Amino acid sequence: MNADHSEKEKTGRMSPTDNELMEAVRDGRVEKLAVLFERYQTMLYNFFLRLTGNRAASEDLVQEVFVRVLKYRAGYLGDSRFNVWLFQIARNAHIDHLRKQKPALSLDEQFAEAPSHEPQPDTAYENDREAELVRRALDRLPVQKREILVLFRFQNLKLREIAELMGVQVGTVKAQVHRALKDLSRIYLELQGGNVS
Amino acid sequence: MTCEKTQEKFADYLTGDLDETGRGEVRKHILDCGACREDLENLTVVWAKLGVLPEEQPGSAVRSRFYAMLEDYKAAQPVGSKSRWTDWLTFRRPAFAASFSAFLLLLGVGAGWFLTGARPGGEKYASLSREVQDMRQQVALSLLSKPSASDRIQGVSYSAEVANPNDTTLAALFKAVDSDPNPNVRLAAVDALYLFRDRPGVRESLVKSLSAQSYPLVQVALIDFLVEVRETRAIEALKKLIDAGELTPEVKKRAEQGLKQITV
Repeated sequence: MNADHSEKEKTGRMSPTDNELMEAVRDGRVEKLAVLFERYQTMLYNFFLRLTGNRAASEDLVQEVFVRVLKYRAGYLGDSRFNVWLFQIARNAHIDHLRKQKPALSLDEQFAEAPSHEPQPDTAYENDREAELVRRALDRLPVQKREILVLFRFQNLKLREIAELMGVQVGTVKAQVHRALKDLSRIYLELQGGNVS
Repeated sequence: MTCEKTQEKFADYLTGDLDETGRGEVRKHILDCGACREDLENLTVVWAKLGVLPEEQPGSAVRSRFYAMLEDYKAAQPVGSKSRWTDWLTFRRPAFAASFSAFLLLLGVGAGWFLTGARPGGEKYASLSREVQDMRQQVALSLLSKPSASDRIQGVSYSAEVANPNDTTLAALFKAVDSDPNPNVRLAAVDALYLFRDRPGVRESLVKSLSAQSYPLVQVALIDFLVEVRETRAIEALKKLIDAGELTPEVKKRAEQGLKQITV
C-alpha cells in the first residue's frame, strides 16, 4: 500500500510490506499475491472506473493487472516502490484496453480525444447530482489529463511517484496537474451553468 | 515570485505538501495578483469537488476470478521448481539465517558420520531433520519467554520458520497474540500464525482473540487474517465488535468491510 513502508517504520509492525510480498511472489511463493490482491483490488478498480466509467471493463482490467503481475513477476526488481510498479502495469493494461476499443485511432489520438458523446452514466455509480457533475466533467477531460488527476487525487500517489511512473520530470507533472485541474474547473463550470460553488 | 513559479506550487498547496515557507510565498503572491488568486480559488473548489466521488467496491466476481486464476497458475507450476530453491537460499531475515546455519551445522555432523563410516540410513536423516525442527522450536519458546520485546519478536520469527510446529509452540503463539504486553509482538504472532492457518485450532483461537483485543493495529491484523482465510466463524465476533461501538473509525470501517468480504 502507499503508506505501507512508512507505517511499518512508525509502528514497528511486522506485517509484510508490499515490497516483501512481491519479492516473495517473484521468488516462487505466488500465494502471497493474494495479500497484495486484497490490498489493491479496490484501489485498482476505482482507478479504472474513473478512467473508463465502465464497471465491467474495470473489473476485467483489475483481473488483467494481476495476470500481468504473475506474468512479469520475475522482472520485479524491488528497488522502486511496489505501488509505482503496479500502476505502471495498470496504465499499460488501460492503454491496451483503449487500443482494443478504438483500433482505428492511433494511441495519441485516443489520448487527445475528449468524449464526443454524452457519457452513459451507470445509475448505481451516480449517487447524487454533484457527484454526477464531477464525474461527467472528469469524463470530458482528455484521457491523459484524466489519468494524471486520478493518480494524483484518488490514488494518493506523490508527484515524484507519478513522475517516475510516467518517465518525466516532477516539474512536468506539476504543470500537467495544474492544467488538468484548470480544464476540469472550466468544464465543471460549463456543466453547472456557470456557478462553481 | 512570478506567476509561473507560484502556479508550480499549486499542486503541493492543494495536497498540503507545501512547507510553511512555500505556503507563505503563495499567499504573498496571491495578495497582489488577482489572476493567480482566482486561479487558486477555482482549483481549490474543484479539488474539493473531486472528493465527492464515492469509492466503489468491485463485485464479488473479481475476487472469485482472481483466486481461480491464482489456483490455475499454481497448478501449472512444476513441483519443486527452481524458484523454491532460490527462495530457500535467500537470507532476508536474521532468524532464518540463524536457523539455516544451525541446519548446516547439523548437516555437517551428519556428513561426519557418513565420512567416518557410520553411514546413517533414512531413519537417521529423518531423525536429523526432526532434531533441527525441535531445536528451532526450543529456541523459539525460550525467546518467547524473555522479558525483552525484541527477543520475543525474534522468538516469533523462529517459530514461523518451523515447518510443522508442535502444539506447545502454537500455544505460545496464541498466548503472545492474546496477552503479550507489547503490541508489536502480538502483531508478529498474528502474522506468524497465518503460516499455520490450516492447523486445527488456529482460526478458532484468533476469532476469540478478536473479541479480546483493544489495540487498533492488532484488531486490524486479526480482521485481515480472518478475512483472508474467509473464516465464517468470525462473522458473529465482527458483528459484536461493530455493535459494541468501541472501535476507532478506521478499525470500524475495516471490520464492516471485512464482514462484507466474508459474507460474500
